[in-house]
Amino acid sequence: MDEQSAEETAFVVDDVSNIIKDAVESTIGSSAYQHNRVNHPVETSLNQLTKLGKPFKYIVTCVILQKNGAGLHTASSCFWDNTVDGSCTVRWENKTMYCIVSIFGLAL
Amino acid sequence: MGESGETADNSYVIRPNFQHKFKPAAVKERIHQVLKEELASNDPEQVPALTRALSETIKDKLKEMGYDRYKLVVQVVIGEQRGEGVKMAARCFWDADTDSYAQGIYMNDSLFCVAAAFGCFYY
Repeated sequence: MDEQSAEETAFVVDDVSNIIKDAVESTIGSSAYQHNRVNHPVETSLNQLTKLGKPFKYIVTCVILQKNGAGLHTASSCFWDNTVDGSCTVRWENKTMYCIVSIFGLAL
Repeated sequence: MGESGETADNSYVIRPNFQHKFKPAAVKERIHQVLKEELASNDPEQVPALTRALSETIKDKLKEMGYDRYKLVVQVVIGEQRGEGVKMAARCFWDADTDSYAQGIYMNDSLFCVAAAFGCFYY
């Protein structure tokens, strides 16, 4: 019984990354780069995550970068409890842009 | 429960008091300081390691500021300046009373850097 509840309240990376991929594809899909559209994948993925009903606080960040030959680096550093908290980063691209979505889940 | 000196005793604090709250303005100042120091002299080859080091440095500085009941997440994005369009957005699902974030942006001729620090109270 305890193991079951521990699994339900752990941060499951696979589920979360699938949710983000679906959210990004459905919102920006194959459209051209438009900087005012960065909010849509973020809001959609956050809504889907909260529907999971797990006792987590979520932080969702998204960077959209036009394809121009430039380089980009992202790094994150976290001070949390490794056993219950987790993060997931999804990279997605189409012909005109790159989209990098990071989700951090902090257990209550 | 709370017997030995090693384990922390319960503090029975469920909300941070005002002194102890995550202060966005102070954190933003600290982030700007760190970005100016670290990015004044940059080397294009070192950027991946620099990005990681920067996020660790900012996290350590925040820990020094005394937010011990807070879980911290620091994200740093460094990119080349080539006239491309970039937009970064964040949404959070948390307790707006206790949790907050701060961001800092640094730009020079060759690169731009965005650092975002999020703090969530651990009940």
